[in-house]
Amino acid sequence: MPEVRQLSQATPAPIGVTDKLWVAALALLIVGGIATAPLLLDTYMINILIRAFFVAIAAITVDIVWGYCGTLTFGQSAFFGIGVYALAIIFTEYDFGSWQALFALVAAVTVAAAVAALTGWLSFYPGSTPLYASIVSLVVPIVLVQILYSGGTFTGSSSGLVGFESFELEFDNWFRLAGLSLAAVAVVALIVMRSDTGRLLKAMRDNDERCTYLGINTRRYRIIVLVITGIVASLAGFGYAAVGGVAAPENASFSFGTRLIIMVALGGRGTIIGAVIGALSIEVASAYLSGSLPYVWELIIGIALIAVILAFPDGLLGVIKRLTRAVQPTPRGAATRLRPIAAAAANDKASEVAIEVRELSKHFGSLSVLDDVRFTARRAELLSLVGPNGAGKTTLIRCLSDGRERSTGFVAIAGHAIDRLPPDGIVQFGLGRKFQAASVFETLTVAECLRVARTHRTRPSLISASVNLELPPAAISVVERSSLADRLGEEARSLSHGLKQALELAMVLSLEPDVLLLDEPTAGLTRAERQAFADILTTLAARDRLCIVLVEHDLDFVREISSRIIVLHQGKIALDGSVDEVVNSALVREIYTGQSTVAEVVP
Amino acid sequence: MLTVALDTVTTAALLFIISSGLLIVFGVMKIINFAHAAFVTVGAYAALVGARLGLAWALVLLLAFGTGAACGAVTEATIVRRLYQRPLDAILATWGLGTVIDQLITLIFGREVQFVQAPITGTMDLLGIDYSAYRIIMIAAAAIVAVVFTGLLNGTRLGLSTRAVIMNEMLAQGLGVDSARVRLITFAIGSGLAALSGALITPLSSVDPNMGLPWLVSAFMLVMVSGGSLPTLAVSCLVLGGLQVIVSTFVNPILGGLTIAICAAIVLRIRPEGFARA
Repeated sequence: MPEVRQLSQATPAPIGVTDKLWVAALALLIVGGIATAPLLLDTYMINILIRAFFVAIAAITVDIVWGYCGTLTFGQSAFFGIGVYALAIIFTEYDFGSWQALFALVAAVTVAAAVAALTGWLSFYPGSTPLYASIVSLVVPIVLVQILYSGGTFTGSSSGLVGFESFELEFDNWFRLAGLSLAAVAVVALIVMRSDTGRLLKAMRDNDERCTYLGINTRRYRIIVLVITGIVASLAGFGYAAVGGVAAPENASFSFGTRLIIMVALGGRGTIIGAVIGALSIEVASAYLSGSLPYVWELIIGIALIAVILAFPDGLLGVIKRLTRAVQPTPRGAATRLRPIAAAAANDKASEVAIEVRELSKHFGSLSVLDDVRFTARRAELLSLVGPNGAGKTTLIRCLSDGRERSTGFVAIAGHAIDRLPPDGIVQFGLGRKFQAASVFETLTVAECLRVARTHRTRPSLISASVNLELPPAAISVVERSSLADRLGEEARSLSHGLKQALELAMVLSLEPDVLLLDEPTAGLTRAERQAFADILTTLAARDRLCIVLVEHDLDFVREISSRIIVLHQGKIALDGSVDEVVNSALVREIYTGQSTVAEVVP
Repeated sequence: MLTVALDTVTTAALLFIISSGLLIVFGVMKIINFAHAAFVTVGAYAALVGARLGLAWALVLLLAFGTGAACGAVTEATIVRRLYQRPLDAILATWGLGTVIDQLITLIFGREVQFVQAPITGTMDLLGIDYSAYRIIMIAAAAIVAVVFTGLLNGTRLGLSTRAVIMNEMLAQGLGVDSARVRLITFAIGSGLAALSGALITPLSSVDPNMGLPWLVSAFMLVMVSGGSLPTLAVSCLVLGGLQVIVSTFVNPILGGLTIAICAAIVLRIRPEGFARA
């Protein structure tokens, strides 16, 4: 059924000729402006702007790490400083020359990359928190500056390095070089951040956990971003030192790192352009004001930062955007085309046993939550986990989907032992998990959320944002049965609770899982929504031969759809059998006394 | 050798006093107060003013604590309260506030380094070596802070509410705990403790507008490593503070200053729960 459906209501707006003309005109204007500006500005201003251009490049890297990926970083100044000192040290030690320049450049890139990789390894590991990454980023420049202080004449200690010979270039040409470098970095950053890759980074910012449960190794992406931005910041520092002919510990310091953050915060995080505007205006203003009013200027910056964070978290550019968007709303991704991909033929070779659990235990200190749990589940089974609150149902789901959760025991998904793998590793074996509270990417559109869920199959493009959205039939049927199909261009945060649940299910199904874990999927849904859910689940088990494990309180729902029920009680499996066996057992009545008759109650 | 041991204990005591305020704020609010360093500075200048006015040392400490607590209360009510949902933004806003406070202090008191006379001078003879008496006092001060703290948390109604909020804020609210009030008071006490520690360290170091900053990073790392409880904070201070003393004494002081930050980062990387048990 390779038909293509145009699902959006709005007419698609392909990039027209007029748009292309606009872009070309803008590019021409910027290049022309940078080329001619030195003729109009006085030397002092040119001098300030050259430095400001390099600082703005560093600010862009902060915007990518913080604004797009969500790691508040104080450490980009360290990479800037590495570039500054790579040039200064090598030119001081070996004099200026072409091979020295090349050597300095290579040193700037490799040292920055190595330090960034180390920082990334320290900051991002399964279970690390954004706060911790932030603190590590704070330590990096502090350590670097102390190293510079104790470097003696090699690093110039606290007074830095001056008086080394550097590139001979007129200020006008430095201006053009720096200006064009900034423009190039900004354009490349904008293109990448608007591509599918940029969307993935935003998804990681919105909800890192959901990303890992979509099989995305977020640590690796974050470390790669840090290494690339570290290299770019280092090159900016390289240029900065080449113009100024000075290297100071302040260039690598934590206070410069915070100044970069302030620039991005004031200009508007997550916009690139905002970072450039913030950096240029603060650099220019502080060049004029910090001389005459040093403390008052810092005071103003501090107050401005607090005010912006409290009142305009998206900065100057955000305010402007909001004003213009009020006039002309532009729905994003209105032209998404939904395409089904051929369903992977039910894999007969795949092991019939979908889940195998042996001697699984989990305890917190002396408190035992799961005790010697063992069961196997086959494909095409719809297995419900029931039991009173605190029985360990959600904990069991967690132990199946994250190798670091269980205390002891063995778990295999589709024949693969999960060892101590993080969730993204287990997803590769064919596991999909839907959380209890709908977990989606709030600031992404419905189409973007679904596309991120396909990351494990289609490597996201670095350049373009694709128009076609290819999903497996199961995911498409969820999208079409709910009204999501009409709302592909809307941000996920605007959806109702029921639609968010449906979206998350569609995202998980986009993984084409063999094993589906669902934690109370019907909680808070209307009767009609619940019925739709039941139909979808039974079809998935019967037709696509998925093994579905469902945690549910609603016994009626469980009875209606399950092929087998496991009763958990106080961390142990109390019963494991067919629906009739379990529902009619005395034990279940005892555990659920008074509850089986009021099963409609939504927990 | 004995000197090193004494240095370890007194350094740990100082670190404990400085980080305890940060810890309580982190424990209750799950945010890191970047203005902590500025509050340490505020306390030091309050002590400077108090000492110049000729107040008794106990009153000077009270003045410092009161000034810090007042600053903290105002900060919570005007800034931090709005940012509970955005913990990273809270870091930034409190950092901005720290800058503002530092610059205001610079404008009022000037940039130059100033000194406060210690209330107890001279040395004490301890097991055959002379040791700064004031540093020994710091051990007692840390013990008092720990005892008062534990007493507050475990022996009062407010402490009970605070522990409830730390464990499960939603549930605590549902049970009628006024969590906004708990947060306000916690932040005020945390800031007051910062200022108190600032006043306590003044006789050991000079007073200048940026004096709080070097302590800040160590305090952060200790709080992160401690995993949020007072006894583990004490252990972290002793272990990492001891390492700092050893590296400063036998390797070099600059590296010593980095010991806590680097060791804590590595500890957390290998064992994310830090020194906490589980």
